[in-house]
Amino acid sequence: MNVKFLNPFVEAAYEVLRAETGMEISRGELRLEQGMYVTDDVTVILSLVGAVEGTVFYSMNRLAAVRFASIMMGESLIELDGLAQSGIAEIGNVITGRASMKLSENGYESNISTPSLILGKGASISTLDYPRLVVPLVTDAGSVEIHLALREGKRGLKTPQIAVPSAKAVNG
Amino acid sequence: MDVKFLNPFVEAAVEVLKAEIGVNVQRGSLSLHQSALTTDDVTVLIHLVGQVYGVVMYGMNTETGIRFVTQILGQEFTEFDSLAQSGVAELGNVISGRATIKFSQAGYASNISPPTLISGKGIQISTLDFPRIVVPLQTNLGELTVHLALRENRNGKLEEFVALTPAAKGS
Repeated sequence: MNVKFLNPFVEAAYEVLRAETGMEISRGELRLEQGMYVTDDVTVILSLVGAVEGTVFYSMNRLAAVRFASIMMGESLIELDGLAQSGIAEIGNVITGRASMKLSENGYESNISTPSLILGKGASISTLDYPRLVVPLVTDAGSVEIHLALREGKRGLKTPQIAVPSAKAVNG
Repeated sequence: MDVKFLNPFVEAAVEVLKAEIGVNVQRGSLSLHQSALTTDDVTVLIHLVGQVYGVVMYGMNTETGIRFVTQILGQEFTEFDSLAQSGVAELGNVISGRATIKFSQAGYASNISPPTLISGKGIQISTLDFPRIVVPLQTNLGELTVHLALRENRNGKLEEFVALTPAAKGS
C-alpha cells in the first residue's frame, strides 16, 4: 500500500478523536500485514471508491467501543446496543470522511461508502491482494486499530475531477 | 430498501452463475430484515457508492464456495485456500459489477468497492439503519444468499464533484 495515503487517516483520526473525546492520543507502532485480519469484538468497515480505492477497518474491543460510544452520545451506555453501534459506526464514518477530504486536497478524489459494522471476535477478514497497513491508536478510553488497504484507483471515477467550493466549505 | 434495486442484482447473479459456473438458478422467497446479518461460513462484502449506495453481501457455506470455485477456475479444490477465497470474492465482484451496469442503464450511476471476504460463521454484520432484502439463490451446487442493503442517493453524492474539461486540465 502506498504510504502517502496513511497520514491523512492518522491526522483525521487524531483530530476526530481529540475533538470528540477530548483525550490525548498516542500512536503505536505501524505494521504491514499481508494475511487475514482476525477480528476483535467490534469492527467498522468502510470502502473508498475513486482515485483512491480500497477498504478501511476500525477495530476495537467491546469495552473501548462502549466507552467511545458513551462519549460520542454524551450519555453513559452500559452495553453495545443499537445506539452504541451507530455511535461507533459514526466515528468511523467521520474519520474516513475527513481523511477523504484530505486526500482530495492532495489530488486524490474519492467517495466513501456507508459504514458496515461487524460484531464478533475471531472471524477472519481478507482484503485479498491488498496488503493492510495497521495503525494502533491509544487513548484513555481504549485503543483503536486502523487498518488501511488502499490503492490508487484503476477503476471508478474515470474523468479528472475537481471539488466545487461547497464541498470544501467544512474544512477547518 | 427500494425493490427496484433488487432485480438488477438477481438478473446479474443468474447470468453470472450460469456463465461462470454453468448452473441454473432458482430464486427462493424474498425476506426483509431490520436486524444484523448472522454470517454463514463465507461472506463477500462489497460497498456501492454513488446514486445507489449501501452494501451487498453474498453468503454461502464452505462446501458451496469450494464447488463454485472448482467450476470457475476449472481445477479441483479440497480446502478453502487463498486461491479459492479470491475466486469467490471475484464472483461477488463480477455479479456486483454487472448489476451496477444495469443500474447505470436505468439512470443510476454508481461504483463498487473492491470485495472484502469475511470467513467465520455466526458473526454479526450490521448495516445499521439500512434494512436488508435477502434473496436465496438455489443451484445444484449449493445456495448463494444475496443480501442487499441499498438506497437511492437523492442528494446525488457524485454531483458534488464536477468533471474538469480537457481544456482546464492543465491549470
